[in-house]
Amino acid sequence: VAQSLEERERAFRALYADHFDAVLGFALRRVDRAEDAGDVTADTFLVAWRRLAHVPPAPDTRPWLYGVARRVLANHRRGDRRRSTLGDRLKRELATSVPDASDQVVQQADVTAAMRRLSARDQEVLELHLWEGLESREIAEVLGLTTTAVRPRLSRARARLRDLLGNDSSPPGHLLNTHSKTPELTRKERR
Amino acid sequence: MNAKLTDEAVALLPLDAGRAELLEEIMSTPVLSSPAPGTPTPPSRRARWLVPIAAAAAVAGIVAASIWGQGLLPGGGTSVATQPGGQPDHRAVLDAPGWAVTSTESGDDGYGEVNYENGDGQFTITWYPAASYASYVTDREHISDPPAAGEPVEVLGRSGQLWAYEATDHTVIREVEDGFWIEFRGSGIDKDEYLALLTRLRIVGSAGYEASLPESFVTDGERSAATASMLAGITAATGAEGPRGEPVRVDSNQQDPYQLGAAVAGAYACAWLEAYENAVTHDQTDLAAEAATVLGTSREWPILNEMNPRGDYPEVVWEYADTVGAGRVPEGYREGLGC
Repeated sequence: VAQSLEERERAFRALYADHFDAVLGFALRRVDRAEDAGDVTADTFLVAWRRLAHVPPAPDTRPWLYGVARRVLANHRRGDRRRSTLGDRLKRELATSVPDASDQVVQQADVTAAMRRLSARDQEVLELHLWEGLESREIAEVLGLTTTAVRPRLSRARARLRDLLGNDSSPPGHLLNTHSKTPELTRKERR
Repeated sequence: MNAKLTDEAVALLPLDAGRAELLEEIMSTPVLSSPAPGTPTPPSRRARWLVPIAAAAAVAGIVAASIWGQGLLPGGGTSVATQPGGQPDHRAVLDAPGWAVTSTESGDDGYGEVNYENGDGQFTITWYPAASYASYVTDREHISDPPAAGEPVEVLGRSGQLWAYEATDHTVIREVEDGFWIEFRGSGIDKDEYLALLTRLRIVGSAGYEASLPESFVTDGERSAATASMLAGITAATGAEGPRGEPVRVDSNQQDPYQLGAAVAGAYACAWLEAYENAVTHDQTDLAAEAATVLGTSREWPILNEMNPRGDYPEVVWEYADTVGAGRVPEGYREGLGC
């Protein structure tokens, strides 16, 4: 618990340094326009700053932040066109730099297209698994569900995605797995 | 849509100035509601999750609407027809020859789904609280490229939009009614069959809904006996009620025997896992040993073996039991089992 302003700032700087890339990445993977990810990131960390005493310690910090980012993102999707007053420079930088960066991706366009055909809940669970590298328990944390609900759903969603991509000899995900925490989609599921 | 960059690729983006400036901007904002040091953690998991929602809404200048929990349904005091647990008191069911319910799920956030199958065909009815309607419509509009509204259809007397994922996979989102909206997804059937099924839907009350479920599913009137029977199977295998001889209490409104089984086995396992954790903390070796013995029989609990072909819940219980058997308190078991 950060008590003095100085302690609070120190704690927040550490939180920001540790999780900025993850939160921005989470947002970037889910928005159409790169600068919108700047808004989501700004609002997510603003919530963390104001609620710092409620931010759980590691390893629960990141799922907590993803949970906040998810709700901020939902507000944006619901038609909240208000732009955050924070992070203008970040948004300008995102708008120019992201379109050029495409060499390290968590998945190829064909998988993205196939995932769109899953139900929204299945899609969200699978995205957290494949894009953020979360396991069932962490996904449950982000979504505010129990692992009971998430595990079978994740299992079904992976099976359905595998079906949608076909059971060719090549790995159906075609994952460019530079994300070390990202589990292989296929090996675990193939029996 | 952007390429799905990895976090490592994100770290390489030239954002240093913007990143540093945002940090300083955020830390220069006043802390509006700094909780006093030592503020206790809110009692429930869901309550805990409501905290950041309220904060996010305040930050975004939005008063309304989160899909999280019926307490935040749109319109503030809007009257919504619900049952305890946030479920609608009227539901759509499919009444068509050859189609049978295979599974159901109901969340305490107003979400629920019923799955039907007929050969290779699948039909899923899902209901959600009204707050999420717009975001789901937006999502479905992206089924087509460029994004577009769905084909107008009428389902159960209300307007809906239909999108085709492919020739044998369609979905309709029906507009909000009484605080909920419904999605109908048909896979493995062509459009004509799908449209025909939409005409075989009925709106029913609780009794009609329960009557539409297979015999093996548990109605409100049967739940007490079914729960007792499941618990009796467990205690017969373990030779023990709850810790210190106290009976285990189960609180569930699930109809699907898998989901009810998870509630029963979960309540029992949670009670003994908590007893084990307390015993270890307070150096009560007898109780710790008893808990380890009880949990060590979990592969013989009949309900878990019945559930095992349908999902992974039993494996989670067994994994935790094995951890206890190895002399350790399993990390995160409360969240894992929904204790």
